Amino acid sequence: MKRLFIILLAAVCLPNAQARINVTSLPGRDSVQLTIYNSADLTLVKETRTLTLKKGRNRLEFSWAGTLIDPTSVEFRPITHADEVEILDIRFPPRVTNTLEWNIHSEFAGEVKTEIRYFTSGITWNADYVCEANANENQMTFAGNVRITNRSGEDYPKAQIRLVVGVVRLVEKIIDLARQGQPAPPAGVSRPTLETATRARAGNALGAALREAEERQNEVVKEALGEYFLYTVGGRDTIANGWSKRLPSFNTAEVPIVSYYKYEKERYGAGVMRFYKFKNDEKSKLGKEPLPDGSVMAFRTVTQDNLYNFVGRTAVKYIPIDEEVEMQLGNDAEVRIAPKMMNWQKDAIHFDKNGNVTGWTTKATWQIELQNSKSIPVTIDIRRTFPGDWEVATEDKFEKVDAKKIKFVLQLNPGEKRTLNYTLTTRHGTNATK
Amino acid sequence: MKVLKTFSIFAAALMLTDAAQARVKLVALPARARVVVSLANLQATLVEEERIITLQKGVNKIDFSWKGVSIDPASIQIRMLDQPGKVKVLNTSYPPNEQALIWEIASPAASAERMRISYLLQGITRQVVYKATAETDETTLTLRNYLRIRNHSGEDLDKAEIGIGYGANFKRTVQHQETIELLSERIEKLPIKKILTWDSKQLPWDPEYEKKTVGIPLNYVIKNDKASKLGVHTLLPGKVRIFIKTKEGVAFTGEDWGGLTPVDREMKLYIGQSREVKVVQRKTTDERVNLRRNNGNRVVMWDQNEVYKVEIQNFKTTPVTLVVREHIPGYWTMIESTHKYDKKDAFTIEYTLELPAKSTGDKNTTLTFNVRRKNVQGNEPSTY
Repeated sequence: MKRLFIILLAAVCLPNAQARINVTSLPGRDSVQLTIYNSADLTLVKETRTLTLKKGRNRLEFSWAGTLIDPTSVEFRPITHADEVEILDIRFPPRVTNTLEWNIHSEFAGEVKTEIRYFTSGITWNADYVCEANANENQMTFAGNVRITNRSGEDYPKAQIRLVVGVVRLVEKIIDLARQGQPAPPAGVSRPTLETATRARAGNALGAALREAEERQNEVVKEALGEYFLYTVGGRDTIANGWSKRLPSFNTAEVPIVSYYKYEKERYGAGVMRFYKFKNDEKSKLGKEPLPDGSVMAFRTVTQDNLYNFVGRTAVKYIPIDEEVEMQLGNDAEVRIAPKMMNWQKDAIHFDKNGNVTGWTTKATWQIELQNSKSIPVTIDIRRTFPGDWEVATEDKFEKVDAKKIKFVLQLNPGEKRTLNYTLTTRHGTNATK
Repeated sequence: MKVLKTFSIFAAALMLTDAAQARVKLVALPARARVVVSLANLQATLVEEERIITLQKGVNKIDFSWKGVSIDPASIQIRMLDQPGKVKVLNTSYPPNEQALIWEIASPAASAERMRISYLLQGITRQVVYKATAETDETTLTLRNYLRIRNHSGEDLDKAEIGIGYGANFKRTVQHQETIELLSERIEKLPIKKILTWDSKQLPWDPEYEKKTVGIPLNYVIKNDKASKLGVHTLLPGKVRIFIKTKEGVAFTGEDWGGLTPVDREMKLYIGQSREVKVVQRKTTDERVNLRRNNGNRVVMWDQNEVYKVEIQNFKTTPVTLVVREHIPGYWTMIESTHKYDKKDAFTIEYTLELPAKSTGDKNTTLTFNVRRKNVQGNEPSTY
């Protein structure tokens, strides 16, 4: 689907629209490079074409009907004979959309290598991961992929592909600019400006070293660019309009994981939430690069011949090097956590001088039933939230998370059942001490 | 039933064309060597199929497409089983407006490779169904545990190994739109407890005021433990139909939804009501004591002294186990009780009473207990 046309018009300036059919040559692309961002619907396209220019004035028409190119972004630059070729002006002809004309003065007659650069909407990339946990759920094979989707309306055959992670600021969406067909100021804005690369979220970005097979001998070049991370996929790839392509990025075996269960009523409801936890560091055989945000499919191999059980799917946030990652994989009925209040007392009543109750203290005794019905040990993280002036007494080890929250972290062996007991004392009214 | 999914492989020579033109149709259609269906995850069905595919040396294209089958494309994985380190997936392409994908696979030599393709398939539902037949004396039953698989996925599952996360896999063919029921467990002489539960919050205290005879909920209780010949895995939720043996054949006594029951926990099945046991509860003392007044002489806090009397008659010719469940809000202490009770939580107690056969009239069972509710202000919690 070729919708981008570049036409060299007759050297004589013809003012009317019909002049554009006066074709002298139709140069094809010599090369294309796509720089695809994942935080915004934005791709920078750089293409090179060899034009045959005449000495004197040349008019060059560039049209992109049916694509999602931002007309305000199209730029033209001679690569060879740069000091002899000058752009006099750019014209967006009336009553015609998705077309511009460059008015060029050349001191040189012959072939000139040129670069045309523009933004397009409709090409996106995202990361996805496959986690293959072993039967004991203490190690995984972790594989990363990137998937590039082209819905830009244009084929970009044999393109060099570069992927960028980082948060780019755009004051107008590329798709909106593309739909206008010609530069047009939006209401209330005197002139559209496009700011790229202003500020990025903490940490630079992109993990996923794109690896092509040895047969193709492709290399991945990684570059840190300010707050961004840029990966260049080795070789050339064709992603035709409408198609997606998924490329393997890395595959690391024996990454240590912790199978982790959380119970926090306020956050996950009454069920027990299952997590796999790992660290993006060298000790875990990762840590070579940050990992971009993406979706995760988690499986567990359950048989000698590595058949899968589906554990769950989730999304992970951007993971900097050395960061610990939790993959939330849904409820697991095989781990039971059931808190029960076993006793409640109201004591230490205080009255004011008028005899009205002003202060009292409640003491609640809680018992949390724990049961691991799985055949492997599990780690459990139980969080309890307490309002007011509270105090907890327990023989079990706990940690204060914040002013109102505590957590118990404990291991349960296969098939183990036990209870966790604590007494919560809460001072109300004038009994409160803090 | 026609298999709706197609699977095809392109020889290396064919595939050096542009990706966009690569949707030429099949060259070879290798049959499935194995199909495994995992129902271990309650939310999703995972299908794994193995195919032996002859690869050319170099880059091969494998076309995997599906029509009329609801496969989650993002879930599709492929693994090489014979030469996992050598045969490599280079990339996966997804054509527009088609339920298909194309793998580019590099092979160092011409060879046959066994590949395993895994994906989440919608339209396969599974239910656990229990059928229980109680002996006439209602002390044991035979429990049959069935797995009911309904295949509306659009795909025939031929000689599929079907697993539910425990026990051995079943090997069965399940065609599209077919439902099969597989016996997964059969336990003979599984001990049961038959328990009536009278809950003071749910049932009327004085049946004399009722127009109809009050039925008391009747439960069979099965314990998922070794003593009950169970206790190996969590019992999954499912409908339980209960029959009872009669002189000739069986009679249906009721059904309930069995809840998820981990090992060593009880599955309680509400199967009907008994009208052969009559419970009358009265509060015989209800007085405020230890009144605390403010300067305006208003009572701002008090203790509540409550005595309950529960009279129970069993009209049956057999003994009955009855659980009497009482709810006491707030801060309380038990002053006196004729029977032992279990504290289920801060606000609930249960008496388990063995009612003798024909314990009616003067022979009835009478339970009394005296509770002191303390520091009452009228806003006592009854739940948590």
